[in-house]
Amino acid sequence: MNDLILPQGKKANRLKTSSMNNKMVNDYWTDVFNAKAEGKLVCWYEGVAINPLMQAADIRWVHGEAWSALLAARNNEQPAQTAAEHRGYMKELCSYARTHIGCGVLAQNRGVEASGSSFSDALGAGLLGERIPAPDMFISAYPYCSTGQQWDEMLFRLFGKKIPIFNISVPWVWGNKPDAMYLGGSEFNEAKQYMVKQIRACTDWIAQQTGKKYNWDKLSEIMSYTKTAGRLRVEAMELCKAKPAPASFFDWTTSLAPVNFIPGGPAIVDYFEKTKAEIVQRIADNEGGIPQEKYRLFWDGIMNWNKIGWLANKFAAYDANMVAGRYTHMGFWHEFESIDVENPLEGMAVNYLVCPINLSAPLMIEQIIKLCKHYEIEGVVLHAARTCRAFSNPQFLIADAVQKRLGLPVAMIEGDMVDESFYKDEIVNSRVEAMLESIEARKRVGIAA
Amino acid sequence: MKSYVMGIDFGSTTTKTVILDLKGKMVASCVASKGSISAEGVQVSMDGAFAQAGIAQKDIARTVSTGYGRRMIDVADQSYTEITCHARGAIAMFPEARLVIDIGGQDSKVIAVSGDGLVQQFAMNDRCAAGTGKFLEALARAVQVPVEAMGALAMSSTEKLTVSNMCATFAETEVISLLAEGKSKPDVLGAVHAAIASRTAGLVARVGNRNPIVMTGGVAKNHAAVHYIEQALSAKMLIAPDPQIAGALGAALFALDEVAKPSAAMMDEEDGADEAMSSARGCATQPCKTAAKLPANERPLLGPM
Repeated sequence: MNDLILPQGKKANRLKTSSMNNKMVNDYWTDVFNAKAEGKLVCWYEGVAINPLMQAADIRWVHGEAWSALLAARNNEQPAQTAAEHRGYMKELCSYARTHIGCGVLAQNRGVEASGSSFSDALGAGLLGERIPAPDMFISAYPYCSTGQQWDEMLFRLFGKKIPIFNISVPWVWGNKPDAMYLGGSEFNEAKQYMVKQIRACTDWIAQQTGKKYNWDKLSEIMSYTKTAGRLRVEAMELCKAKPAPASFFDWTTSLAPVNFIPGGPAIVDYFEKTKAEIVQRIADNEGGIPQEKYRLFWDGIMNWNKIGWLANKFAAYDANMVAGRYTHMGFWHEFESIDVENPLEGMAVNYLVCPINLSAPLMIEQIIKLCKHYEIEGVVLHAARTCRAFSNPQFLIADAVQKRLGLPVAMIEGDMVDESFYKDEIVNSRVEAMLESIEARKRVGIAA
Repeated sequence: MKSYVMGIDFGSTTTKTVILDLKGKMVASCVASKGSISAEGVQVSMDGAFAQAGIAQKDIARTVSTGYGRRMIDVADQSYTEITCHARGAIAMFPEARLVIDIGGQDSKVIAVSGDGLVQQFAMNDRCAAGTGKFLEALARAVQVPVEAMGALAMSSTEKLTVSNMCATFAETEVISLLAEGKSKPDVLGAVHAAIASRTAGLVARVGNRNPIVMTGGVAKNHAAVHYIEQALSAKMLIAPDPQIAGALGAALFALDEVAKPSAAMMDEEDGADEAMSSARGCATQPCKTAAKLPANERPLLGPM
């Protein structure tokens, strides 16, 4: 038989600059593994990208989600997840947290600091999860998600309540006051000032941990690179309005590391300069992010890191270009313009407040609608991550809004961030194919999105 | 001469086959239960339909498959998802319907259909079997009544009880607890059917309630399920004499469209897969004017799509 929309071996045309990202990520984690040997303090943290605060104080950092995502993307997550489950953390708990906590268990069991095999040897042996150095401090700065806010507390207890912890409380952007608007209004401004106050207090606390005066000049320098990288990334993504779109959501997911946890410096600017140049060249060559762009889709929800290549190729095989997404386009220094590099705390606060899960549904939906219009989206895939209710909470509202206001068909699929067992391919296929059939039918009768 | 088209719905628990002649008249339908995604079930279903129609495979001009096992059917020329085929089949049965509720063995789906037959929106159950035929089967076992008898028993319930609609396994535990508390089987089964109705109402809310509603799938043959769903939606549902064959009927109607448009759908599919798909969908989404005329006293099965 010939199933006409069954994926037929077409693969995503991933950006070539992605290979630079892999090297940066590997080098970064190698530096983390070597932290203790080099006499560096190590901070574990989750949530928003507060790493510039640590970088300015010459502390090395382990971002829980980034580390868990890396393990999943490289098929090394299982030992950590098993260790956490054996410690009593059930499968329904956020898989990022479960994996990271499992690494904490493994680090405790190891009893010595990270040392020994190289990154690649550990990766090949499936033992990467054991390699991160134990923390010298925790900073908790988690927006919206209650598990995230408790995750560091769990780690604090796991390490015997002996490791200092600092908590930054990120207020939710409710948008309830009459003057509320995206990035503005009295409520947002109050939240911003509250964040600035806490971030400043956090720098004082960091100075206490290091015993050194906090280096504000260094923070400005880091934020200068971060702002430039953020701008270049947004500009490159916006160029994907072109048809065919020269890159996909999956490319932008692969490119999150430089704006999430890689040290702010010339390398991240260089990365996005090259990425943007590749995008510009692809547009000139009429080269798409997939071999044949027939449908333009939007991805709502967090990434499924176990399946990033798989999903990129799956949608490519359907001739469906996942042009944009909430995860990639509504976070990670995307509000770069708000950063004043001479006085960066306020701009940092703004970016932390408007991360992809911290906006109330009405504010969030307006941003999603804008993106769908900008990128001329024809259908929305909503990835409901089984263990990330923070991301999936508003998804029925988002689905309803894009259906009613833009006439877009939607497909809700289930999966997870780093727990592969929650993903079932045939169930995903049925929903995605039904949505594509629906888009196709609309095109035939001349109903534009 | 190849004078017939065939639709096969290869589902999780049953396989349904529908054969139409080239005028769109149904000449055979057969439902076979041979276990999960069973190749034997497909053969039994096809053989049953061939016997009923008095024809053989060589008489079939085109076959379209649907259902979870749709890609496993060698004789199929084309396949579409259950959403597209159930909508097509249900609207062919009841052209006035604007909402299709299909509860099959493995999944439940609600499909909003526009006046011109387009699938507007759809919602499906998540990975859990709660709210599907499997849910009823599991709970029939827990209550120790045959699945065919559970509907009638549930209709005689007198006490309102509650069973979880979120997880089939939890629901089974709850059912056993209720029986251990001395609750009657009819009351427990009433709660089971109320749970499936509540789950279905949730899916309806996601796509937006609209009327008339047609219910398809094996569960539509269960009077208690229909009763509780109608109660939950405050609406009467349209139900065909054989609601299980809606998907296969929809698939057969697509096959008929494609036979009527040979330039598009029956071209060399190795060379023109995408064009064939587009063209086939095009016919599928509009009133099909290409099928042969029926005698005045026969109702065509082609819906408004």
